[in-house]
Amino acid sequence: MQRLSFDFPADTRILAKIGNLAADAGRNAGFNDVGIGDIQLAIDEACTNTIIHGLKKDPSRTFQLIIQWKTDEIEILIHEKGEPFDPSATRIPDPEASLEDRPVGGLGIYFVRELMDKVEYRTDEEGIKTLRMVKRVSKS
Amino acid sequence: MNITENVQGNVHQVYLEGRFDADTADKVEEFIRKKIKKKISHFVLDMENVSFIASAGLRVVIVLAKELRGEHKGDLYVAALQPSVYRVFEISGLNNVLSIFDDTETATQSFN
Repeated sequence: MQRLSFDFPADTRILAKIGNLAADAGRNAGFNDVGIGDIQLAIDEACTNTIIHGLKKDPSRTFQLIIQWKTDEIEILIHEKGEPFDPSATRIPDPEASLEDRPVGGLGIYFVRELMDKVEYRTDEEGIKTLRMVKRVSKS
Repeated sequence: MNITENVQGNVHQVYLEGRFDADTADKVEEFIRKKIKKKISHFVLDMENVSFIASAGLRVVIVLAKELRGEHKGDLYVAALQPSVYRVFEISGLNNVLSIFDDTETATQSFN
């Protein structure tokens, strides 16, 4: 298992770097271009939520990003001590909806759930929230 | 994100270059909103050089297209998407509700 760990500031300017790190890890784990794109989108959306909603875009606050991978599998962990967040309370957008009926938000969490094989949220006793996402290379 | 513009008749062709994410989406929205204030209502968003789009970028496209169609009798067409970017439109189902063209020239002509 290969592992990278970073502490990043809650600043959206860091997203491009995170995208590149995710692409490199995905490629090393054996994902194709579509799989790498999916991982990049999921990690971008998850980190965006952390930066904007969890840490209120305050660059003096940080979150920990861990990317670990082995052949055919990548696991991403985001640890933050930010605002409480209940992803189950988020309205899932309907991909069939007309433009007029579409809410403008909610797509980010939809992408995370849609593109990763496993998505888990938990909060420990000290209030540190963790998002864990796993994706495996599709054999079909 | 670099934004450049070309005007053809009453159609404003807006060329984006870079990532269209939570860091850059506001810049694109502000650029187009300034034009809307000047009564411009027909836009083509050329994304040939957009390597990545996230939900923050899609939100801008949804909000502006809705507004232009509704209040201004115009529209925001999307053109020249890279396959990885088109896939994000597809997963969200936006490919069914937005006007997406292979290139900006075709999109511009479709307004006329």
